[in-house]
Amino acid sequence: MRDVAIIGAGMIPFGRRDEDTLMEMLAYASLKALDDAGLGDKSVDAVYVANMGGGMLQHQSAIASSLVDRLSLLPAAAETIENGPASGASAVKNGLLAVASGYYDYVLVVGGEKMREVTGWRATDFVATMTHPQVEYPYGITLPGMGGMFTRLYMEKYGVTREHLLAVSLKNQAMGTLNPYAHVEMALDRDGIFDSPDAIVNNPTSADPLHLYDLCPVSDGAAAVILCPLEMTKKLAKPPVLIAGFGQATDTQTLQERDDPTDLKAVTLAAQQALEMAKLKPGDIHVAELHDAFTILEIAESEHVGFFEKGKGGKAAAAGKTRLGGQIPINVSGGLKARGHPVGATGVAQVVDIVWQLRHELPENRQVQNAENGLTVNFGGFGNNVLSFVLKRVQP
Amino acid sequence: MKKEIAITAFKCKSCGKIHYPFHDRCLVCKNREFERITPQGNATLLTYTAIFNLPWGFDQRFLIIGVAEFENHVKALGQIKADSVDQLKVGMKVIPSWEPIRVQYGEDVYGLKFEPMG
Repeated sequence: MRDVAIIGAGMIPFGRRDEDTLMEMLAYASLKALDDAGLGDKSVDAVYVANMGGGMLQHQSAIASSLVDRLSLLPAAAETIENGPASGASAVKNGLLAVASGYYDYVLVVGGEKMREVTGWRATDFVATMTHPQVEYPYGITLPGMGGMFTRLYMEKYGVTREHLLAVSLKNQAMGTLNPYAHVEMALDRDGIFDSPDAIVNNPTSADPLHLYDLCPVSDGAAAVILCPLEMTKKLAKPPVLIAGFGQATDTQTLQERDDPTDLKAVTLAAQQALEMAKLKPGDIHVAELHDAFTILEIAESEHVGFFEKGKGGKAAAAGKTRLGGQIPINVSGGLKARGHPVGATGVAQVVDIVWQLRHELPENRQVQNAENGLTVNFGGFGNNVLSFVLKRVQP
Repeated sequence: MKKEIAITAFKCKSCGKIHYPFHDRCLVCKNREFERITPQGNATLLTYTAIFNLPWGFDQRFLIIGVAEFENHVKALGQIKADSVDQLKVGMKVIPSWEPIRVQYGEDVYGLKFEPMG
């Protein structure tokens, strides 16, 4: 197997992009990654497109075939990867394996989603289609609802409090104000959403015990990376970033069939696999992008990855250990909470943000100083399909 | 008229693991033979939430949903008949019933509901 590097990364600002079609967003992000890799007028061998909802929301199928045509990448191999909210990381994994195996040299991976052109009702229903079609979906369960039930269990078992969740909201939305790609560029005021009598209006219950500002927004957006063998990266303008490890694991579709529903086994396994492949330990990671679709998930994942002991993640967040400059900066991009969560794009966007960190090219107010190793967790379903990557800065 | 709870769970004939929903192979021992069982008795509430941002198809302000475990250890998700989560507590007993849970294409869809006991 060959070592695989990321040689190009691109993203378009997430948010409400009424002016763009899904295909346009995928194209813009792809062109940015191609240009970043210095492949502007060249082709690639294969294209993997991550998208969850094109069929349901845009009434569009065979999206990858359409994209290679639009981008004049013909006759590159092309396919669309759908794996729920983990589609992005799944597409990166497929690109990684294709290059590592020696079958392809240059691969474009792009993830995108356009969710804001339908009503909130429809978008919530679309995301809920990943729940079990007979024993969950008909009841009206939503992903935030799953998050609410999980949060209640986590609070009961580990003593996580609303203050701990609040620390994640405040941190990630503050970071979002510094990220030009973020959907939500609005810092939160603790008094306004937690302490004051107005908080019940400003920050209403969304899926008890989760409140509005515990949830990520529904977003449009796209992100892309270019992969190639590390041995072919000698003459590039920008430093390559090595995909040093990856892992993927699954768990039961329903929470009720897990022996301990607070145990996110797939997160633990995916991260362990990625770290072992990279020959690193959690303490060797300098920056992480975790899948904080709900604030509780950043806390729970920070424990399951091994950054903190079980039950200590909430206190660590409240103590500032996960801020920029802290013990392990998590979601310096603003995470899903502020960067946004266009579901097919998220797993790729996490990788793009870590690539920028490891190239040391971000502004000082977002750059983790001397970052050498980064980790991502892309969380599909309610933890029933999880992927993790460990990326390493390649020394010039 | 009260309807019978139309849920079938599956007990592995080899290791006894109870599955709901159905799996083609046992989640523990991979065995493919199951005894069909129905949930028995009342249930214990394991977790719950009140959802205020509902999906398409639910024309109401909010919905309370939870997971409960029946006396014969079948665990299932259902809607909870309560006005507020303040009436609920993890570990409390709930009475199950089979009632309309939503309307689709003009027809009632039946499913599990839990009512707090006492």
